Amino acid sequence: MTVLGAEILKTTKRWMPYVLFLFAVAGTAVIILLFGYTAWFNERDEAEAGFGIESFFTFAWPWSLQALLDNGQFYGSALFVAILTSSSVATEYNWGTARGALIRGQSRGKYLATKLAGTALICTMFLLAVFAVGVLFSVIATAIAHKSLTLDVPGGPSVPEIGLMILRAAWGIVPYGLLAFMLAVVGRSTALGVAGAIGYMFVEGIAIAILRELSGIWNDIPDILIGTQVSSLIAANRFGGVEYISFAPRERPEATDLPDPWMAALVIAAWCALLLAVAFFVFLRRDLQSRDV
Amino acid sequence: MSSSPPVLKTSGLSKRYGKRLALAGLDLEVPSGRVFGFLGPNGAGKTTAISLILGLISPTSGRVELFGEDARRQLAASLKRVGAILEGVAFYPHLSARDNLRICAAISGGVAAARIEETLRLVGLSGRARDKVRGYSMGMRQRLALAAALLHDPELLVLDEPTNGLDPAGMREFRDLIRELGRSGKTVFVSSHLLGEVEQMCDEVAIVKEGRVIASGAVADLVRQGDALDLRVTDVAAAMEALAALPWPAVLVDGDRLSIEAPRDSAAEISRALAERQVYLYELRPRETSLEEIFLELTSEEVVS
Repeated sequence: MTVLGAEILKTTKRWMPYVLFLFAVAGTAVIILLFGYTAWFNERDEAEAGFGIESFFTFAWPWSLQALLDNGQFYGSALFVAILTSSSVATEYNWGTARGALIRGQSRGKYLATKLAGTALICTMFLLAVFAVGVLFSVIATAIAHKSLTLDVPGGPSVPEIGLMILRAAWGIVPYGLLAFMLAVVGRSTALGVAGAIGYMFVEGIAIAILRELSGIWNDIPDILIGTQVSSLIAANRFGGVEYISFAPRERPEATDLPDPWMAALVIAAWCALLLAVAFFVFLRRDLQSRDV
Repeated sequence: MSSSPPVLKTSGLSKRYGKRLALAGLDLEVPSGRVFGFLGPNGAGKTTAISLILGLISPTSGRVELFGEDARRQLAASLKRVGAILEGVAFYPHLSARDNLRICAAISGGVAAARIEETLRLVGLSGRARDKVRGYSMGMRQRLALAAALLHDPELLVLDEPTNGLDPAGMREFRDLIRELGRSGKTVFVSSHLLGEVEQMCDEVAIVKEGRVIASGAVADLVRQGDALDLRVTDVAAAMEALAALPWPAVLVDGDRLSIEAPRDSAAEISRALAERQVYLYELRPRETSLEEIFLELTSEEVVS
Protein backbone atom coordinates (compact mmCIF):
# COMPACT_ATOMS: atom_id res chain seq x y z
CA MET A 1 0.00 0.00 0.00
CA THR A 2 1.23 3.50 -0.81
CA VAL A 3 1.03 6.43 1.59
CA LEU A 4 -1.76 7.85 -0.55
CA GLY A 5 -3.55 4.50 -0.35
CA ALA A 6 -3.11 4.62 3.43
CA GLU A 7 -4.59 8.10 3.50
CA ILE A 8 -7.62 6.96 1.50
CA LEU A 9 -8.04 3.89 3.72
CA LYS A 10 -8.11 6.08 6.85
CA THR A 11 -10.86 8.32 5.48
CA THR A 12 -13.00 5.87 3.56
CA LYS A 13 -13.34 3.64 6.62
CA ARG A 14 -14.91 6.48 8.57
CA TRP A 15 -18.66 7.03 8.54
CA MET A 16 -18.35 10.76 7.93
CA PRO A 17 -17.91 10.84 4.13
CA TYR A 18 -20.91 8.55 3.67
CA VAL A 19 -23.14 10.66 5.91
CA LEU A 20 -22.02 13.80 4.08
CA PHE A 21 -22.66 12.02 0.79
CA LEU A 22 -26.21 11.20 1.85
CA PHE A 23 -26.79 14.82 2.90
CA ALA A 24 -25.45 16.01 -0.45
CA VAL A 25 -27.68 13.58 -2.35
CA ALA A 26 -30.65 14.72 -0.27
CA GLY A 27 -29.79 18.34 -1.09
CA THR A 28 -29.59 17.47 -4.77
CA ALA A 29 -32.98 15.79 -4.58
CA VAL A 30 -34.45 18.86 -2.90
CA ILE A 31 -33.17 21.16 -5.65
CA ILE A 32 -33.89 19.00 -8.70
CA LEU A 33 -36.96 17.10 -7.63
CA LEU A 34 -38.65 19.35 -5.06
CA PHE A 35 -37.86 22.92 -6.11
CA GLY A 36 -37.44 21.85 -9.73
CA TYR A 37 -39.77 19.15 -10.95
CA THR A 38 -42.46 19.20 -8.20
CA ALA A 39 -42.75 22.99 -8.23
CA TRP A 40 -42.95 23.00 -12.03
CA PHE A 41 -45.51 20.16 -12.03
CA ASN A 42 -47.78 22.02 -9.57
CA GLU A 43 -47.59 25.25 -11.58
CA ARG A 44 -47.06 23.83 -15.04
CA ASP A 45 -49.94 25.73 -16.59
CA GLU A 46 -48.46 29.01 -15.40
CA ALA A 47 -45.00 27.77 -16.30
CA GLU A 48 -46.05 27.09 -19.87
CA ALA A 49 -47.23 30.68 -19.92
CA GLY A 50 -43.86 31.86 -18.73
CA PHE A 51 -44.43 31.89 -14.97
CA GLY A 52 -42.44 29.65 -12.61
CA ILE A 53 -40.14 28.93 -15.53
CA GLU A 54 -37.11 28.89 -13.13
CA SER A 55 -38.37 25.60 -11.71
CA PHE A 56 -38.36 24.05 -15.17
CA PHE A 57 -34.81 25.14 -15.96
CA THR A 58 -33.72 23.87 -12.55
CA PHE A 59 -34.67 20.23 -13.17
CA ALA A 60 -34.85 19.90 -16.97
CA TRP A 61 -31.88 18.48 -18.84
CA PRO A 62 -29.50 20.05 -19.90
CA TRP A 63 -30.29 23.36 -18.14
CA SER A 64 -30.18 21.52 -14.79
CA LEU A 65 -26.40 21.39 -15.16
CA GLN A 66 -26.24 25.08 -14.27
CA ALA A 67 -28.29 24.64 -11.10
CA LEU A 68 -26.41 21.51 -10.10
CA LEU A 69 -23.00 23.12 -10.51
CA ASP A 70 -23.99 26.47 -8.97
CA ASN A 71 -25.55 24.91 -5.85
CA GLY A 72 -22.94 22.14 -5.86
CA GLN A 73 -20.07 24.60 -5.86
CA PHE A 74 -21.40 26.42 -2.81
CA TYR A 75 -22.85 23.62 -0.73
CA GLY A 76 -20.29 21.11 -1.91
CA SER A 77 -17.61 23.47 -0.58
CA ALA A 78 -19.40 24.40 2.58
CA LEU A 79 -21.02 21.19 3.68
CA PHE A 80 -18.83 18.51 2.20
CA VAL A 81 -15.29 19.67 1.51
CA ALA A 82 -14.94 22.00 4.51
CA ILE A 83 -16.24 19.43 6.98
CA LEU A 84 -14.37 16.44 5.57
CA THR A 85 -11.11 18.33 5.12
CA SER A 86 -11.17 19.92 8.56
CA SER A 87 -12.06 16.65 10.21
CA SER A 88 -9.44 14.56 8.46
CA VAL A 89 -6.73 17.07 9.37
CA ALA A 90 -7.74 17.88 12.94
CA THR A 91 -8.53 14.34 14.06
CA GLU A 92 -4.92 13.39 13.33
CA TYR A 93 -3.92 15.92 15.96
CA ASN A 94 -6.59 14.80 18.38
CA TRP A 95 -5.82 11.12 18.00
CA GLY A 96 -2.08 11.77 18.12
CA THR A 97 -1.62 9.90 14.87
CA ALA A 98 0.15 12.84 13.23
CA ARG A 99 3.04 12.27 15.62
CA GLY A 100 2.86 8.56 14.92
CA ALA A 101 3.38 9.18 11.21
CA LEU A 102 6.22 11.65 11.67
CA ILE A 103 8.25 9.39 13.95
CA ARG A 104 8.21 6.75 11.23
CA GLY A 105 10.29 8.97 9.00
CA GLN A 106 7.59 10.62 6.92
CA SER A 107 8.72 14.19 6.37
CA ARG A 108 6.32 16.87 7.52
CA GLY A 109 5.95 18.26 4.01
CA LYS A 110 5.16 14.86 2.58
CA TYR A 111 2.77 14.10 5.42
CA LEU A 112 0.75 17.26 4.82
CA ALA A 113 0.89 16.96 1.03
CA THR A 114 -0.32 13.35 1.23
CA LYS A 115 -3.14 14.32 3.55
CA LEU A 116 -4.15 17.07 1.17
CA ALA A 117 -3.96 14.83 -1.89
CA GLY A 118 -5.89 12.03 -0.19
CA THR A 119 -8.62 14.36 1.01
CA ALA A 120 -8.85 16.03 -2.39
CA LEU A 121 -9.16 12.66 -4.11
CA ILE A 122 -11.91 11.49 -1.76
CA CYS A 123 -13.81 14.79 -2.05
CA THR A 124 -13.55 14.59 -5.84
CA MET A 125 -14.86 11.02 -5.94
CA PHE A 126 -17.78 11.72 -3.64
CA LEU A 127 -18.73 15.04 -5.25
CA LEU A 128 -18.62 13.50 -8.73
CA ALA A 129 -20.88 10.75 -7.41
CA VAL A 130 -23.29 13.38 -6.02
CA PHE A 131 -23.18 15.19 -9.37
CA ALA A 132 -23.92 11.93 -11.20
CA VAL A 133 -26.89 11.31 -8.90
CA GLY A 134 -28.07 14.87 -9.61
CA VAL A 135 -27.81 14.29 -13.37
CA LEU A 136 -29.73 11.04 -12.92
CA PHE A 137 -32.49 12.86 -11.01
CA SER A 138 -32.61 15.45 -13.78
CA VAL A 139 -32.77 12.87 -16.56
CA ILE A 140 -35.54 10.96 -14.79
CA ALA A 141 -37.54 14.13 -14.06
CA THR A 142 -37.10 15.36 -17.63
CA ALA A 143 -38.32 12.03 -18.99
CA ILE A 144 -41.30 12.01 -16.62
CA ALA A 145 -42.13 15.54 -17.80
CA HIS A 146 -42.13 14.18 -21.39
CA LYS A 147 -39.38 16.56 -22.47
CA SER A 148 -36.63 15.50 -24.81
CA LEU A 149 -33.25 14.48 -23.43
CA THR A 150 -30.86 16.36 -25.62
CA LEU A 151 -27.96 18.76 -25.50
CA ASP A 152 -29.28 20.37 -28.63
CA VAL A 153 -30.98 23.37 -27.06
CA PRO A 154 -30.28 27.07 -27.76
CA GLY A 155 -26.83 27.85 -26.34
CA GLY A 156 -26.60 24.29 -25.01
CA PRO A 157 -23.17 22.89 -24.14
CA SER A 158 -21.29 20.17 -25.96
CA VAL A 159 -19.89 17.23 -23.97
CA PRO A 160 -16.41 18.82 -23.73
CA GLU A 161 -18.06 22.04 -22.58
CA ILE A 162 -19.82 20.11 -19.83
CA GLY A 163 -16.40 18.91 -18.74
CA LEU A 164 -15.19 22.51 -18.66
CA MET A 165 -18.27 23.54 -16.64
CA ILE A 166 -17.48 20.83 -14.08
CA LEU A 167 -13.87 21.99 -13.89
CA ARG A 168 -14.97 25.61 -13.34
CA ALA A 169 -17.26 24.63 -10.48
CA ALA A 170 -14.58 22.35 -9.01
CA TRP A 171 -12.01 25.15 -9.15
CA GLY A 172 -14.49 27.27 -7.23
CA ILE A 173 -14.54 24.66 -4.47
CA VAL A 174 -10.77 24.41 -4.08
CA PRO A 175 -10.05 27.74 -2.27
CA TYR A 176 -12.74 27.11 0.33
CA GLY A 177 -11.45 23.58 0.87
CA LEU A 178 -7.96 24.98 1.32
CA LEU A 179 -9.28 27.65 3.68
CA ALA A 180 -10.74 24.87 5.84
CA PHE A 181 -7.50 22.91 5.50
CA MET A 182 -5.38 25.88 6.55
CA LEU A 183 -7.60 26.74 9.51
CA ALA A 184 -7.67 23.12 10.69
CA VAL A 185 -3.87 22.87 10.45
CA VAL A 186 -3.24 26.16 12.21
CA GLY A 187 -5.98 25.75 14.83
CA ARG A 188 -5.66 21.93 15.18
CA SER A 189 -9.44 21.95 15.35
CA THR A 190 -12.22 20.55 13.21
CA ALA A 191 -14.61 23.16 14.59
CA LEU A 192 -12.33 26.02 13.57
CA GLY A 193 -11.86 24.65 10.06
CA VAL A 194 -15.55 24.06 9.50
CA ALA A 195 -16.84 27.21 11.18
CA GLY A 196 -14.10 29.35 9.64
CA ALA A 197 -14.65 28.17 6.08
CA ILE A 198 -18.45 28.07 6.18
CA GLY A 199 -18.61 31.33 8.10
CA TYR A 200 -16.31 32.98 5.59
CA MET A 201 -18.40 31.76 2.64
CA PHE A 202 -21.65 33.12 4.04
CA VAL A 203 -20.17 36.36 5.34
CA GLU A 204 -18.23 36.92 2.12
CA GLY A 205 -21.38 36.69 -0.01
CA ILE A 206 -23.11 39.29 2.13
CA ALA A 207 -20.00 41.47 2.37
CA ILE A 208 -19.54 41.51 -1.40
CA ALA A 209 -23.13 42.64 -1.88
CA ILE A 210 -22.68 45.44 0.68
CA LEU A 211 -19.29 46.56 -0.60
CA ARG A 212 -20.60 46.78 -4.15
CA GLU A 213 -23.04 49.41 -2.94
CA LEU A 214 -20.30 51.55 -1.41
CA SER A 215 -18.01 53.94 -3.23
CA GLY A 216 -14.26 54.47 -3.39
CA ILE A 217 -11.81 51.80 -2.34
CA TRP A 218 -14.57 49.79 -0.65
CA ASN A 219 -16.10 49.16 -4.02
CA ASP A 220 -12.84 47.65 -5.29
CA ILE A 221 -12.31 45.20 -2.44
CA PRO A 222 -14.71 42.53 -3.82
CA ASP A 223 -12.55 42.36 -6.94
CA ILE A 224 -9.87 40.48 -5.02
CA LEU A 225 -12.09 38.33 -2.85
CA ILE A 226 -12.51 34.63 -3.57
CA GLY A 227 -16.28 34.90 -3.91
CA THR A 228 -16.08 37.32 -6.84
CA GLN A 229 -13.77 35.00 -8.75
CA VAL A 230 -16.00 32.02 -8.03
CA SER A 231 -19.03 33.99 -9.22
CA SER A 232 -17.18 34.67 -12.46
CA LEU A 233 -16.60 30.94 -13.00
CA ILE A 234 -20.21 30.11 -12.17
CA ALA A 235 -21.41 32.87 -14.49
CA ALA A 236 -19.29 31.36 -17.27
CA ASN A 237 -21.21 28.13 -16.79
CA ARG A 238 -24.53 29.75 -17.68
CA PHE A 239 -26.07 29.12 -21.09
CA GLY A 240 -29.28 29.72 -22.92
CA GLY A 241 -30.02 32.95 -21.04
CA VAL A 242 -32.30 31.13 -18.62
CA GLU A 243 -32.83 31.55 -14.88
CA TYR A 244 -32.61 28.67 -12.43
CA ILE A 245 -32.99 28.23 -8.69
CA SER A 246 -29.85 28.64 -6.61
CA PHE A 247 -29.68 28.59 -2.83
CA ALA A 248 -26.13 29.87 -2.72
CA PRO A 249 -26.24 33.08 -0.64
CA ARG A 250 -24.70 35.32 -3.26
CA GLU A 251 -25.90 37.57 -6.02
CA ARG A 252 -26.90 35.73 -9.17
CA PRO A 253 -23.64 35.63 -11.15
CA GLU A 254 -23.86 37.77 -14.29
CA ALA A 255 -20.80 37.59 -16.50
CA THR A 256 -21.00 41.26 -17.46
CA ASP A 257 -20.29 42.46 -13.90
CA LEU A 258 -17.48 40.04 -13.17
CA PRO A 259 -13.83 39.51 -14.05
CA ASP A 260 -12.81 37.39 -17.00
CA PRO A 261 -13.07 33.68 -15.98
CA TRP A 262 -9.43 32.99 -16.82
CA MET A 263 -8.32 35.94 -14.71
CA ALA A 264 -10.65 34.75 -11.95
CA ALA A 265 -9.09 31.29 -12.14
CA LEU A 266 -5.64 32.86 -11.74
CA VAL A 267 -6.71 34.93 -8.73
CA ILE A 268 -8.14 31.77 -7.18
CA ALA A 269 -4.80 30.06 -7.82
CA ALA A 270 -3.06 32.90 -5.99
CA TRP A 271 -5.43 32.49 -3.02
CA CYS A 272 -4.79 28.74 -3.04
CA ALA A 273 -1.03 29.31 -3.03
CA LEU A 274 -1.36 31.71 -0.11
CA LEU A 275 -3.53 29.36 1.93
CA LEU A 276 -1.21 26.42 1.23
CA ALA A 277 1.83 28.49 2.13
CA VAL A 278 0.36 29.43 5.51
CA ALA A 279 -0.62 25.82 6.28
CA PHE A 280 2.77 24.39 5.33
CA PHE A 281 4.72 27.23 6.99
CA VAL A 282 2.98 26.60 10.30
CA PHE A 283 3.08 22.82 10.15
CA LEU A 284 6.73 22.54 9.15
CA ARG A 285 7.80 24.63 12.13
CA ARG A 286 5.35 23.56 14.78
CA ASP A 287 6.27 21.65 17.92
CA LEU A 288 4.14 18.53 18.16
CA GLN A 289 4.02 17.78 21.84
CA SER A 290 2.39 14.98 23.75
CA ARG A 291 -0.51 17.22 24.74
CA ASP A 292 -1.51 17.17 21.06
CA VAL A 293 -2.33 13.50 21.55
CA MET B 1 31.20 -1.15 26.05
CA SER B 2 31.04 -1.22 22.28
CA SER B 3 33.76 0.66 20.41
CA SER B 4 31.40 1.62 17.56
CA PRO B 5 30.11 5.22 17.50
CA PRO B 6 26.97 5.92 19.55
CA VAL B 7 23.67 5.20 17.84
CA LEU B 8 22.12 8.13 19.64
CA LYS B 9 23.96 11.14 20.96
CA THR B 10 22.67 14.41 22.34
CA SER B 11 24.92 17.38 23.01
CA GLY B 12 23.81 20.29 25.16
CA LEU B 13 20.21 19.60 24.22
CA SER B 14 17.92 22.21 25.73
CA LYS B 15 14.28 23.12 25.41
CA ARG B 16 12.71 26.19 26.89
CA TYR B 17 8.97 26.97 26.99
CA GLY B 18 8.75 30.63 27.88
CA LYS B 19 10.40 30.96 31.27
CA ARG B 20 10.33 27.23 31.98
CA LEU B 21 13.41 25.23 31.10
CA ALA B 22 12.12 21.76 30.29
CA LEU B 23 15.50 20.35 29.35
CA ALA B 24 18.82 21.88 30.32
CA GLY B 25 21.80 20.82 28.25
CA LEU B 26 21.18 17.10 28.02
CA ASP B 27 24.31 15.14 27.12
CA LEU B 28 23.72 11.50 26.35
CA GLU B 29 25.48 8.77 24.45
CA VAL B 30 23.67 5.54 23.73
CA PRO B 31 26.09 2.92 22.47
CA SER B 32 25.15 0.48 19.75
CA GLY B 33 23.60 -2.80 20.84
CA ARG B 34 22.84 -1.73 24.40
CA VAL B 35 19.60 -1.44 26.33
CA PHE B 36 19.75 2.06 27.77
CA GLY B 37 17.40 3.19 30.52
CA PHE B 38 16.34 6.81 30.81
CA LEU B 39 15.10 7.49 34.32
CA GLY B 40 13.70 10.47 36.06
CA PRO B 41 10.82 11.63 38.20
CA ASN B 42 7.71 13.09 36.59
CA GLY B 43 8.48 16.41 34.95
CA ALA B 44 12.20 15.67 34.71
CA GLY B 45 12.20 16.19 30.95
CA LYS B 46 12.17 12.59 29.71
CA THR B 47 9.29 13.00 27.25
CA THR B 48 10.66 16.35 26.10
CA ALA B 49 14.00 14.70 25.41
CA ILE B 50 12.36 11.89 23.45
CA SER B 51 10.25 14.36 21.46
CA LEU B 52 13.44 16.25 20.60
CA ILE B 53 15.25 13.07 19.60
CA LEU B 54 12.39 12.11 17.30
CA GLY B 55 12.18 15.59 15.77
CA LEU B 56 8.67 16.31 17.01
CA ILE B 57 9.82 19.50 18.70
CA SER B 58 12.70 21.83 17.93
CA PRO B 59 15.48 22.35 20.44
CA THR B 60 16.18 25.76 21.90
CA SER B 61 19.86 24.80 21.68
CA GLY B 62 22.02 21.73 21.27
CA ARG B 63 21.89 18.90 18.81
CA VAL B 64 20.83 15.33 18.33
CA GLU B 65 22.80 12.78 16.36
CA LEU B 66 21.22 9.59 15.15
CA PHE B 67 23.53 6.96 13.67
CA GLY B 68 26.33 9.52 13.61
CA GLU B 69 24.39 12.06 11.53
CA ASP B 70 22.89 15.37 12.57
CA ALA B 71 19.28 14.38 13.13
CA ARG B 72 17.86 17.73 12.00
CA ARG B 73 19.52 17.43 8.61
CA GLN B 74 18.76 13.76 8.01
CA LEU B 75 15.63 13.41 10.13
CA ALA B 76 13.37 11.47 7.76
CA ALA B 77 16.15 9.11 6.68
CA SER B 78 17.34 8.55 10.26
CA LEU B 79 13.85 7.92 11.57
CA LYS B 80 13.34 5.17 8.98
CA ARG B 81 15.87 3.25 11.10
CA VAL B 82 14.10 4.01 14.37
CA GLY B 83 11.06 2.41 15.97
CA ALA B 84 9.33 4.33 18.72
CA ILE B 85 6.58 4.13 21.27
CA LEU B 86 5.44 7.53 22.46
CA GLU B 87 3.68 8.40 25.68
CA GLY B 88 -0.05 8.23 24.95
CA VAL B 89 -0.15 5.57 22.27
CA ALA B 90 -2.14 6.71 19.24
CA PHE B 91 -3.90 4.70 16.58
CA TYR B 92 -6.86 5.14 14.26
CA PRO B 93 -9.69 3.96 16.50
CA HIS B 94 -12.05 3.14 13.62
CA LEU B 95 -9.57 0.78 12.00
CA SER B 96 -8.49 -2.73 12.95
CA ALA B 97 -5.05 -3.49 14.35
CA ARG B 98 -4.10 -4.99 11.00
CA ASP B 99 -5.20 -1.90 9.07
CA ASN B 100 -3.35 0.34 11.51
CA LEU B 101 -0.20 -1.68 10.91
CA ARG B 102 -0.78 -1.56 7.14
CA ILE B 103 -0.79 2.22 7.42
CA CYS B 104 2.39 2.15 9.51
CA ALA B 105 3.96 -0.16 6.93
CA ALA B 106 3.00 2.19 4.09
CA ILE B 107 4.64 5.12 5.87
CA SER B 108 7.76 3.15 6.74
CA GLY B 109 7.98 1.72 3.23
CA GLY B 110 9.29 -1.65 2.18
CA VAL B 111 7.49 -3.71 4.80
CA ALA B 112 6.16 -7.03 3.52
CA ALA B 113 2.60 -8.04 4.34
CA ALA B 114 3.92 -11.18 6.04
CA ARG B 115 5.86 -8.98 8.46
CA ILE B 116 2.58 -7.44 9.66
CA GLU B 117 1.28 -10.87 10.60
CA GLU B 118 4.62 -11.75 12.17
CA THR B 119 4.61 -8.71 14.46
CA LEU B 120 0.96 -9.27 15.36
CA ARG B 121 1.91 -12.79 16.44
CA LEU B 122 4.96 -11.51 18.30
CA VAL B 123 2.86 -9.22 20.49
CA GLY B 124 0.03 -11.72 20.88
CA LEU B 125 -2.62 -9.85 18.91
CA SER B 126 -3.16 -12.24 16.00
CA GLY B 127 -6.52 -13.34 17.38
CA ARG B 128 -7.79 -9.77 17.68
CA ALA B 129 -6.17 -8.34 14.55
CA ARG B 130 -9.53 -7.72 12.83
CA ASP B 131 -11.08 -5.93 15.79
CA LYS B 132 -11.33 -2.16 15.76
CA VAL B 133 -8.75 -0.49 17.98
CA ARG B 134 -11.43 1.56 19.74
CA GLY B 135 -12.41 -1.66 21.52
CA TYR B 136 -8.89 -2.41 22.72
CA SER B 137 -7.77 -2.19 26.33
CA MET B 138 -4.83 0.03 27.22
CA GLY B 139 -2.59 -3.00 27.43
CA MET B 140 -3.64 -4.19 23.97
CA ARG B 141 -2.96 -0.76 22.53
CA GLN B 142 0.47 -0.84 24.11
CA ARG B 143 1.13 -4.22 22.50
CA LEU B 144 -0.01 -2.82 19.17
CA ALA B 145 2.34 0.13 19.67
CA LEU B 146 5.19 -2.30 20.18
CA ALA B 147 4.18 -4.15 17.02
CA ALA B 148 4.17 -0.86 15.12
CA ALA B 149 7.58 0.04 16.53
CA LEU B 150 9.07 -3.31 15.51
CA LEU B 151 7.30 -3.54 12.16
CA HIS B 152 10.13 -2.23 9.99
CA ASP B 153 12.84 -4.03 11.98
CA PRO B 154 14.49 -0.85 13.24
CA GLU B 155 18.06 -0.63 14.48
CA LEU B 156 17.13 1.67 17.36
CA LEU B 157 14.03 1.48 19.52
CA VAL B 158 12.99 4.58 21.46
CA LEU B 159 10.37 3.69 24.02
CA ASP B 160 8.65 6.22 26.26
CA GLU B 161 7.08 4.52 29.29
CA PRO B 162 6.33 1.42 27.21
CA THR B 163 4.92 -0.72 30.01
CA ASN B 164 2.17 1.75 30.91
CA GLY B 165 -1.13 -0.07 30.95
CA LEU B 166 0.35 -3.56 30.86
CA ASP B 167 -0.64 -6.11 33.48
CA PRO B 168 2.14 -7.87 35.44
CA ALA B 169 2.26 -10.76 32.98
CA GLY B 170 2.39 -8.33 30.07
CA MET B 171 5.16 -6.37 31.75
CA ARG B 172 7.17 -9.51 32.21
CA GLU B 173 6.68 -10.52 28.57
CA PHE B 174 7.65 -7.03 27.50
CA ARG B 175 10.78 -7.10 29.67
CA ASP B 176 11.77 -10.46 28.21
CA LEU B 177 11.20 -9.14 24.72
CA ILE B 178 13.37 -6.08 25.34
CA ARG B 179 16.12 -8.27 26.73
CA GLU B 180 15.83 -10.48 23.68
CA LEU B 181 16.03 -7.47 21.37
CA GLY B 182 19.12 -6.30 23.23
CA ARG B 183 20.71 -9.71 22.83
CA SER B 184 19.91 -9.68 19.11
CA GLY B 185 22.03 -6.54 18.73
CA LYS B 186 19.33 -3.87 18.63
CA THR B 187 19.82 -0.68 20.55
CA VAL B 188 16.98 0.15 22.91
CA PHE B 189 16.47 3.53 24.58
CA VAL B 190 13.73 3.18 27.14
CA SER B 191 12.31 5.72 29.54
CA SER B 192 10.50 4.39 32.54
CA HIS B 193 9.63 5.13 36.09
CA LEU B 194 9.56 1.42 36.96
CA LEU B 195 13.04 1.13 38.38
CA GLY B 196 12.94 -2.57 39.08
CA GLU B 197 12.05 -3.15 35.45
CA VAL B 198 14.85 -0.91 34.25
CA GLU B 199 17.36 -2.56 36.54
CA GLN B 200 16.47 -5.93 35.09
CA MET B 201 16.22 -4.81 31.47
CA CYS B 202 18.97 -2.25 30.98
CA ASP B 203 22.71 -2.39 30.58
CA GLU B 204 23.14 1.33 31.14
CA VAL B 205 21.06 4.16 32.55
CA ALA B 206 20.97 7.90 32.72
CA ILE B 207 19.07 9.56 35.54
CA VAL B 208 17.61 12.99 34.84
CA LYS B 209 16.25 15.56 37.21
CA GLU B 210 14.94 18.99 36.29
CA GLY B 211 16.15 18.60 32.74
CA ARG B 212 19.71 17.60 33.62
CA VAL B 213 21.51 14.27 33.74
CA ILE B 214 22.54 13.79 37.36
CA ALA B 215 23.99 10.31 37.00
CA SER B 216 24.76 7.92 34.22
CA GLY B 217 26.67 4.78 33.50
CA ALA B 218 26.41 1.03 33.56
CA VAL B 219 23.69 -0.21 35.88
CA ALA B 220 26.22 -2.44 37.68
CA ASP B 221 28.54 0.54 38.28
CA LEU B 222 25.77 2.77 39.55
CA VAL B 223 24.53 0.13 41.93
CA ARG B 224 28.10 -0.43 43.10
CA GLN B 225 28.41 3.33 43.76
CA GLY B 226 25.97 2.84 46.57
CA ASP B 227 27.75 -0.20 47.98
CA ALA B 228 28.21 -0.55 51.67
CA LEU B 229 29.67 -3.21 53.96
CA ASP B 230 27.86 -4.51 57.01
CA LEU B 231 29.99 -5.64 59.95
CA ARG B 232 29.56 -7.33 63.31
CA VAL B 233 32.55 -6.82 65.58
CA THR B 234 33.90 -7.84 68.99
CA ASP B 235 34.37 -4.25 70.29
CA VAL B 236 32.16 -1.56 68.80
CA ALA B 237 33.85 1.45 70.44
CA ALA B 238 37.34 0.38 69.35
CA ALA B 239 36.00 -0.44 65.92
CA MET B 240 34.50 3.04 65.49
CA GLU B 241 37.88 4.56 66.47
CA ALA B 242 39.70 2.35 63.98
CA LEU B 243 37.25 3.07 61.18
CA ALA B 244 37.38 6.83 61.78
CA ALA B 245 40.91 6.75 60.36
CA LEU B 246 39.65 5.31 57.08
CA PRO B 247 38.26 7.44 54.22
CA TRP B 248 34.74 5.96 54.36
CA PRO B 249 32.02 7.02 56.77
CA ALA B 250 30.92 4.39 59.26
CA VAL B 251 27.81 4.34 61.40
CA LEU B 252 26.65 2.27 64.33
CA VAL B 253 23.49 0.41 63.39
CA ASP B 254 22.65 -1.32 66.67
CA GLY B 255 24.35 -3.58 69.22
CA ASP B 256 27.50 -4.97 67.63
CA ARG B 257 26.44 -4.03 64.10
CA LEU B 258 28.16 -1.37 62.03
CA SER B 259 27.78 -0.18 58.50
CA ILE B 260 30.44 1.49 56.41
CA GLU B 261 29.83 3.06 52.99
CA ALA B 262 32.78 1.50 51.26
CA PRO B 263 33.27 -0.52 48.09
CA ARG B 264 33.57 -4.28 48.26
CA ASP B 265 37.26 -4.33 47.49
CA SER B 266 37.97 -2.28 50.65
CA ALA B 267 37.06 -5.26 52.86
CA ALA B 268 40.68 -6.33 53.30
CA GLU B 269 41.78 -2.85 54.32
CA ILE B 270 38.93 -2.56 56.80
CA SER B 271 39.62 -5.94 58.41
CA ARG B 272 43.34 -5.07 58.69
CA ALA B 273 42.55 -1.71 60.33
CA LEU B 274 40.27 -3.43 62.84
CA ALA B 275 42.79 -6.19 63.55
CA GLU B 276 45.47 -3.62 64.31
CA ARG B 277 43.20 -2.41 67.16
CA GLN B 278 42.50 -5.97 68.28
CA VAL B 279 38.96 -5.77 67.01
CA TYR B 280 37.81 -8.94 65.29
CA LEU B 281 35.03 -9.67 62.93
CA TYR B 282 32.05 -11.92 63.55
CA GLU B 283 30.74 -11.03 60.14
CA LEU B 284 31.64 -8.89 57.12
CA ARG B 285 29.35 -8.87 54.10
CA PRO B 286 28.61 -6.54 51.22
CA ARG B 287 25.27 -4.80 51.11
CA GLU B 288 24.09 -4.06 47.55
CA THR B 289 21.99 -1.01 46.92
CA SER B 290 19.16 -1.29 44.45
CA LEU B 291 18.80 1.08 41.53
CA GLU B 292 15.62 2.31 43.18
CA GLU B 293 17.56 3.38 46.28
CA ILE B 294 20.18 5.09 44.13
CA PHE B 295 17.47 6.80 42.11
CA LEU B 296 15.59 8.02 45.16
CA GLU B 297 18.78 9.25 46.75
CA LEU B 298 19.90 11.09 43.62
CA THR B 299 16.57 12.61 42.75
CA SER B 300 15.90 13.86 46.26
CA GLU B 301 19.31 15.49 46.67
CA GLU B 302 21.67 17.58 44.60
CA VAL B 303 24.14 14.92 43.59
CA VAL B 304 26.21 15.05 40.47
CA SER B 305 28.04 12.10 39.06
